Amino acid sequence: MASRTASKDIITLRGSAAIVSEFFGYAANSILYNRGVYPEESFTKVKKYGLSMLLTQDEGVKSFIANLTSQLSEWLEAGKLQRVVLVIMSKATLEVLERWNFNIETDAEVVEKGVSREKSDKEIMREIQAIMRQIASSITYLPCLDEPCVFDVLAYTDKDVAVPFAWIESDAKLIQNPQMVKLHSFDTKIHKVDTLVSYKNDDWDEQ
Amino acid sequence: MVKSEFVVALDTAEKQVHGYQAQLETLKTELHVSEDERKKCQDRLRYLEQELEASKGREHALQERLIKEVNDSQGRYQLQVKRCSELEVQLKKEVDSRKNSESSAASAKERATDLEEKLQRLSESSEREKNRLQRELAHWQDDSKLSVSRKTADLERMRLKAENLEEESELLKKQLKEIREQLDECLHQKSALECKLSTIPTPSESTPSEDKNLVKHLREELRNYEAEVQEARRLKSCHMNNELLKEKLLEEKGRREKAEIELSQLQEAQLNAQNLELELMSWKSLLKEIPDVTSYDDIPKKIAGLQKEAIESLIKVGEISAHLKELEVSLELAELCKQHAEKESLLAKEKAENSALEVKRLELMLSSVAEERDRLNKDAIALNKQKTAHADSGMMDETLVKDLESSLALRKQTIKELESNLHEQREVINRQYDEIKLLNEKLSFEARRIKSLEREGDRLRSEIALLESKLGHGDYSVANTKVLRMVNTLAVDSETKQTIEALQAELKKTQAKLQAVEELKGQSDAGNVIDVDISEKLAQLKGQIAILEKREERYKAVFAERISVFRRACCSLFGYKIVMDDQQRPNGIPVTRFTLQSIYAQSDDEKLEFEYESGNTNILVNDYSSQPEISQQIEIFIKKMNSIPAFTANLTMESFNKRTLS
Repeated sequence: MASRTASKDIITLRGSAAIVSEFFGYAANSILYNRGVYPEESFTKVKKYGLSMLLTQDEGVKSFIANLTSQLSEWLEAGKLQRVVLVIMSKATLEVLERWNFNIETDAEVVEKGVSREKSDKEIMREIQAIMRQIASSITYLPCLDEPCVFDVLAYTDKDVAVPFAWIESDAKLIQNPQMVKLHSFDTKIHKVDTLVSYKNDDWDEQ
Repeated sequence: MVKSEFVVALDTAEKQVHGYQAQLETLKTELHVSEDERKKCQDRLRYLEQELEASKGREHALQERLIKEVNDSQGRYQLQVKRCSELEVQLKKEVDSRKNSESSAASAKERATDLEEKLQRLSESSEREKNRLQRELAHWQDDSKLSVSRKTADLERMRLKAENLEEESELLKKQLKEIREQLDECLHQKSALECKLSTIPTPSESTPSEDKNLVKHLREELRNYEAEVQEARRLKSCHMNNELLKEKLLEEKGRREKAEIELSQLQEAQLNAQNLELELMSWKSLLKEIPDVTSYDDIPKKIAGLQKEAIESLIKVGEISAHLKELEVSLELAELCKQHAEKESLLAKEKAENSALEVKRLELMLSSVAEERDRLNKDAIALNKQKTAHADSGMMDETLVKDLESSLALRKQTIKELESNLHEQREVINRQYDEIKLLNEKLSFEARRIKSLEREGDRLRSEIALLESKLGHGDYSVANTKVLRMVNTLAVDSETKQTIEALQAELKKTQAKLQAVEELKGQSDAGNVIDVDISEKLAQLKGQIAILEKREERYKAVFAERISVFRRACCSLFGYKIVMDDQQRPNGIPVTRFTLQSIYAQSDDEKLEFEYESGNTNILVNDYSSQPEISQQIEIFIKKMNSIPAFTANLTMESFNKRTLS
């Protein structure tokens, strides 16, 4: 629950988990739109973080992302989530072409003792806005995805986490000799999210 | 004669007197001139004395300034020396840390070689595991084939039985029809006979024997009809049994179909087994690629060890980066000190140049004063010579000249003292120049050291970037982390989803059928042979399911009880009945809606609706909240003061007042 106290807002564990899971939902949509995984006409504009964000209207993708964000929120509240990776693969060969890595650091004291932190909501929104802008501008340096692609989401959790019904254990779907670009990060004082994109070396770059 | 001689002598004497008078006048004029010159000299001397005092004062001020500057430069030099010593200490520490890191790198290499050996052992054990799994798979396949063949045999048997029963039932049906027809005929005849019997008059002429025969005949027919009726009843019961058997046949047919479906599932399971084999092959190839892994058990240990090393190296990197930052800060401070010292050295140089110029100027002044002094000496000597010719008037001049000479001697001494001071100051300035040169050399040395530290910092930054890239690559510790993936991916077709759901439903049905089969086992003679192990497992699973269901019901009951207590308490404490409802917006984001009704509300329409999402609570517009009184309160308490509790409390008070007044 956020309430106003001067220029800073009180952030609870649940509120921070909701912010981070919501961010991931919007970031996933933005990546799918910008990388052309789904056609542009299947996206619609909404206002969020002071920007015009694009959200998919495909029911399957929408429900997938909704289920995903609810599970991520649950893990974040338990302090069990370490990383979320959105993997883009070739539909024909299932070769991993890009990995959008969201590393999460959780304040253990907040999880154990249930204390809250203070940070301005506007400041958090500004930080998230910067990341969204960087995702949108990533098309300038990422290689073109000329073939049909599919995406998958991996969650790096603690070892003692019970595997939910719709989830299975998987390999990390790594890229060999990737190029990496580090993006901005945002911090709710309870969860700190670092963003990094690693992609397969383009043949043109190697030449 | 004597008078002429006297007159001549008088004339000569008078001439001599005139001459002496003229000489006296000239001497007087000369004396006036010399007095004027003496006054001028005295004025000049006073002026020179003033200038000398002024130059003394300036020199004194210069000396003080130089002493201050010397003290300041000494202080700065001491500070520089201290800083140099501190930087040397830091450098030693850096060298020690570098040696430690080199030694830790060597130990890590040794550990890496040990791990390589362990990985070889891991690969061998993984091969053994694979062989064991293949043998188990073959065993399971044989078992499944046997059970499939048994089930098919049972199915054929049941099918033949069903066919036989169908034929029998058809025959029985035909017989039943014939018997029914006969029964109808008999009944019809019976009724006709009865009618005839009732209509036929009793002939007196007929013989009793014919009646008896007729009665006997009729009785026999009745008996026959009764036997036929009993037979018909028996046939009817047989028909009922046939129908039961038909139903059973249908059930068996259904079971046969399900067994066929299970056969297809078995084939799918075989396909899955093949896929598992392929995965095993891929894992084996992965194990071959990993140099230090010999068995599956060693893989997590190996990766845990590598992750520990990575974490330790990260910690070291963090420490080194912190140290690097400290060095950068100290580097910046040293650069600032260097710039400051350079500036001060420039200032000191300028001051030294200025003091040298001042010294030159003083020297020039001294030379001019010395020349003036020489000239005055010469004048004094000339005056003395003149005064010796005029002894009487010259006594005063001699004393003046002596005074002038004594003052000149004093001035000479002061000039000598000034020269000695100047010489000392020159030496001091030379020493300062030497110190400044030494400082400059030290500064250049520090600059070189700063460059080496910068290179070290660049190297450490590159190491940090390397380690960050490894982290960003996606590596993780198997001991602490596992990677999960959502199964319901969008690459799966809807048919496969339906098949998965269908398989799950079939699984439940087969479990129910197994229960029914177990029940039938006690009734039927024909064998649906059930594996004893599966039934035991089923019983265990059923027991567990029952326990879990009981536990779930208990939890649900306890939760329902507690939540109802909580809701009633909230209602009595805050005066609002709260109804919570989870909804989803069109964009897929979950939202919770709260409907509040005051216990003092005068109608059921007086309800407030709030929407809660991601820590923010917003009031929704409805008929009640759009009323002017309520909207005014919303404007004041929620929009201006941003306090929903204040709004609800105010509304409660107003509702309470209305109720009490009414």
